[in-house]
Amino acid sequence: MSTNKRITLQQAAEIIKDGSSLTFSGFTIWRRPMAIIFELIRQRRKGLHLIEVNGGSQTEFLVGAGCVDIWESCWVGHELYGKYGANLSRKVANKEIIVEDYSHAEMMFRFAAAAQGAPYAVTQTSLGSDIHNPEYDMLGRAGLRDGKRIAAHKYQFTEDPFFGAGSQVLIPAARVDIAVLCVQQVGEEGTVRVNGQYYSDPEVARAAAITIVMAEEIVPEEYLRRNADQNTIASFEVNHILECPFGAHPTGMFGRYDVDGAFLKDFYSRTRTQEGFDDFANEWIYGQDHISYLEKLGWPRMLGLKANTALNYSPRISKGGK
Amino acid sequence: MTVYAKPEEFGLADLLCCAASREVADNEIVFAGTGLPMVAIMLAQKTHAPNLKLIFEAGTLDGRPPEIPTSVGDARCEMGASRSSGLNDAFSIAQRGYVDLGYLGGAEVDQYGNVNTTCIGDYLEPELRLTGSGGNPDINSFAKRTVFIMVHEQRRFVENVSYITSPGWRVKKWPGGEFVHRRELYGAAYHGGPSAVISTAGVFRFDSDSGLMYLDTCHPGKTPEEIRGMCQFDLDISRVKGETELPTREDLRIIHDVLDPNEIFIPKVRQG
Repeated sequence: MSTNKRITLQQAAEIIKDGSSLTFSGFTIWRRPMAIIFELIRQRRKGLHLIEVNGGSQTEFLVGAGCVDIWESCWVGHELYGKYGANLSRKVANKEIIVEDYSHAEMMFRFAAAAQGAPYAVTQTSLGSDIHNPEYDMLGRAGLRDGKRIAAHKYQFTEDPFFGAGSQVLIPAARVDIAVLCVQQVGEEGTVRVNGQYYSDPEVARAAAITIVMAEEIVPEEYLRRNADQNTIASFEVNHILECPFGAHPTGMFGRYDVDGAFLKDFYSRTRTQEGFDDFANEWIYGQDHISYLEKLGWPRMLGLKANTALNYSPRISKGGK
Repeated sequence: MTVYAKPEEFGLADLLCCAASREVADNEIVFAGTGLPMVAIMLAQKTHAPNLKLIFEAGTLDGRPPEIPTSVGDARCEMGASRSSGLNDAFSIAQRGYVDLGYLGGAEVDQYGNVNTTCIGDYLEPELRLTGSGGNPDINSFAKRTVFIMVHEQRRFVENVSYITSPGWRVKKWPGGEFVHRRELYGAAYHGGPSAVISTAGVFRFDSDSGLMYLDTCHPGKTPEEIRGMCQFDLDISRVKGETELPTREDLRIIHDVLDPNEIFIPKVRQG
């Protein structure tokens, strides 16, 4: 049994190569592995193929920095703090990125299929929509459907052969090179305990060839094994671990800290243009490391985000509302 | 006794929230999105539908949040919930057919209730790329009824949306793309479809046979002719029932004193 899964933030980013396919833990603006995202941007990674159940702030940072060639997903934005993905939108208009649109349930079921080792999933969602318009198979149009790294078809229709239930959509398994997770606790041997909604973390961890877990804290493995029923991902499904407190900031983490809405609003409003993005990245990413980033944020700001341990979020009332 | 608020006591967001809230019946299972729909459902939970079951897309099942979550991924979602899980559960439950009602939004809607949240203009040469589908088509495919809450502008109420993100009553059959009735395409997976659009001008419903939108009620101060002029298609105004039911004073108290005191989603109207 390997107990030497610990790596550094820099090493975690180095595992992700130019051209890797990549996915993440979390949901829109919650539990995204932002510290690794920032490190990837510092290391000037190129040609990434993001396959995400849903996008969010992590997508916008990577896309804005020019790290991403292909984005397969269903949604991007910053929820209440930025109504759409301005960086993705700009790169789509300039044809600097390939976007393959699926529905949210399709993306989830694609990862569930990959996590089961199945080549595809079957669903009845989104029938009649332009998601299934054959003209809008963007990876096909780009000639990238090699049937190996990228599925030979975006989807296929079939008739239910078992119960005569009519049209079914087959969607390819979302096989990815690397999943990067950001969670509350991981054990020395890799056992993961997620508190709160676990979103699609168990499926993406299992779907990936390599799974990296960045945690608020690395805890003794035996502590997690005392209550195995509360654990989310088994030790051997995780290849590498690292400890990085506040590694999800500016996204939020159940029980630890809330979303930094002011930070996301600032990012959204300042990064409509490439110049604006570069300016923001020069301020917050380039020339920084995780500790200097936290120093720049400062204790008062972080204390304001800190979750109440009984409520698992930061109550708004005590801070005078919005 | 029901006491309706006076026109100067509420804003348009209050009216929309209350109209949306009235679409849900007690004991129903409701799929909630972020924003105004969440306030509407929690208003229903605290008024006429105390036993409704709330599902948040990110994985909360039968949630009873103590304060309004800012999004469905929020830590606030699962306080007091029956179960906190993930998206595979939430979407499996939806596809299984549990969901009675879903609340959704959109940038454009057409006469058949097809909704676009993906792009403005040609998909291959978009004027503006939007957020993308999210769970909109999924909830709209799986739920028995869906309610859309939208800003009403003529450019948003179009004959045919430029991209069908979320399927309405007459949808495209691929590979050809010819329009067919939803029932024909969905077969055994047919559970229902869009039941109402609540816009900033009125409430709209759909003819079950033709799948065409018609005007049901007008918001205060709007006439049917005026609302027809706010659509790019020939809106049926022959079935108008009258004015949209106004918020009650109790509705407003719950919205502003209990659910959204910080005015995150619904601004409070201040008189004088």
